[in-house]
Amino acid sequence: MNNKTFVLKKDHLIPLLRKLAKTNRLVAPIRNEYGDTIFSHITSLDDMEIDLDHQPQGSLKPWFFPQTETLCRYTLDREPKSGAQEYGFHVQLPKNRPTVYFGVRSCDMFAVMYTDMVFLHGDERDAYYERRRDHAIFVTLGCNTPFPNCFCNATRSGPFLEAGFDLQLTDLGDRWFVETGRARGIKVTEEWPAFFALATEADKRAQFQAELEARGLFTRLVHVDLAVKLLAESKAPEAIVTELSRRCQDCGGCAYICPTCTCFNIVDQPLDADSGERIRLWDACTFSGFTLMAGGHNSVDGDTRKILRRFMHKLKYDVDKHGRTSCVGCGRCVDMCFGGVDIIRFINRICEEGENGGETDK
Amino acid sequence: MTQRKGLRRNPSLPGRLIQPIMGGGNAYLPRQAYIKRIIKENSTVKTLECVFEDEIFNTDFTYLPGQFMMLSVPHCGEAPISLSSSPTQPGSFDLSIRKAGKLTGAVHDLRTGDMVGVRGPYGRPFPMDDLRGHNLLFVAGGIGMAPLRSAIRFCLDKAEDYGDITVLYGCKHPHEICFNSDLAGWRQSGLVRCLLTVDEGNRDWDGRVGLVTGLLDEVDLDGANDKAIVCGPGVMIRFVLQRLEAMGFHDTNMITTLERHMKCGIGICGHCHFEGKMVCTDGPIFTRAELPDLEVL
Repeated sequence: MNNKTFVLKKDHLIPLLRKLAKTNRLVAPIRNEYGDTIFSHITSLDDMEIDLDHQPQGSLKPWFFPQTETLCRYTLDREPKSGAQEYGFHVQLPKNRPTVYFGVRSCDMFAVMYTDMVFLHGDERDAYYERRRDHAIFVTLGCNTPFPNCFCNATRSGPFLEAGFDLQLTDLGDRWFVETGRARGIKVTEEWPAFFALATEADKRAQFQAELEARGLFTRLVHVDLAVKLLAESKAPEAIVTELSRRCQDCGGCAYICPTCTCFNIVDQPLDADSGERIRLWDACTFSGFTLMAGGHNSVDGDTRKILRRFMHKLKYDVDKHGRTSCVGCGRCVDMCFGGVDIIRFINRICEEGENGGETDK
Repeated sequence: MTQRKGLRRNPSLPGRLIQPIMGGGNAYLPRQAYIKRIIKENSTVKTLECVFEDEIFNTDFTYLPGQFMMLSVPHCGEAPISLSSSPTQPGSFDLSIRKAGKLTGAVHDLRTGDMVGVRGPYGRPFPMDDLRGHNLLFVAGGIGMAPLRSAIRFCLDKAEDYGDITVLYGCKHPHEICFNSDLAGWRQSGLVRCLLTVDEGNRDWDGRVGLVTGLLDEVDLDGANDKAIVCGPGVMIRFVLQRLEAMGFHDTNMITTLERHMKCGIGICGHCHFEGKMVCTDGPIFTRAELPDLEVL
């Protein structure tokens, strides 16, 4: 990348965010009173402390695709003469708010690029997602030290990004190294030049070194590429699929916490006899009702196959369709699932089986 | 020629566009339509003849057989419903609906003049262009006749484009037969060979009794050149396809439909997943070649 690189002094970060927060909503990870680090709207930089030391529990997904949202309101009326029922729809689009997302990890940034493909680059554009996604500025943070469940090195979505961000920060101890990516990031450096000193060769070397060291600090060894290859060659072994399906407790937590799971349900919620709201809410393909049709037919056997869609979608179908896995290696599903039906377990089992299969062939 | 995203030229109706009817660029916002006429096909199936409230859409609206609409019913949400009319008869469109759950149950309580919401048309249609010049065999079971009615009407309106048309239709009981007036019309037209059967007859039934697969023995078919279009319950489709295969039908000459739970109709919500595909946008029409494993039906 030939874009300019800068250095930002550590004690200049908050003043810079203060400037940006004047014309933008500022969203960053905050550690709350329960000790949870969560992306939050920063209403006051004096009273709220940004936490860059812990992995945020949730990704940015709900900021663009909320857990529940109203798509439209509907009203019913009777035509006075004929008594025929009239049925009106009134769209409810979210507010278009310029927002700076600060402290976004590479995996979560990558996930936004993936959900952009789903909601914006298919046959139809999703107007609700688009509204929230418009005017977003992403200031991402390269990970010098990966967290215990991270494996973004194996999914090629971190620990540092080459593209996708507006600004990418690297912690160089006493200063931030700043890379400019997309136009909105460049604009920030142009608008507030006092904060950004051009990076020297020494700064660039230090950044390169930090990135190199980070790559050596992953504690999880997850063979994503091997699993992708094995799943491309043959079906997922039934025994693994059945075992993991039976361990799945139908909670949907993996899909909810996953930054790239975008399945949703749409339901009508009556407000009274003559009106109601059409609501969109997160759904999970592991729920046994996900594919259930009126009349009782279900195309997925919940008992033995409910986890298959989730893992195949991430590791095979999206590889076929988009050229990469849609698992970004954030590792959140590992802590989330009390049944141990996380993607690392699935990948490891597929690889073990593949190895054993290979040996018996010889 | 560059075309706006989301617009495709309708290959069978030159000059017209297949454009999902959307609300100001919002794919989730239904259009209002009112019910012009309700035809009671039998005790559990009704056909709603619908007309858009906004007249401009009535003139612009077009689709192809095999496509579906997302139908909104007050307080019940939306469900995908096959278009059972043909775009060769514009001005209104038909949705034939069997009472199967909450939404479809509420549909049966609607009256003429009542309004519904619709989005669409969605889905990959029957390959009406590829079917040209071939003899066509339609095999339907129960409400599975709905999308086939659209295709059959289409072919009859362009009879010079298509070869001989044979319709095989099976239902569980005589009182479950739908589209009686169409069936009578097709028989009278002399253009269609139409055979009916029921799984279980009754005193008033003097027609055939037996599975629809049995009717395949009564017709002359050329597996190498004829095209078969099959729609009905999954188990029926499976047996018919297996039978046709044994009769020498090539797997690209057998066309069928997949039925799935759907929420968005535009390939995003994930409910209609089928291996790497979305039935709402990659289907619902598939050739046998695209369905190697018939267990998915």
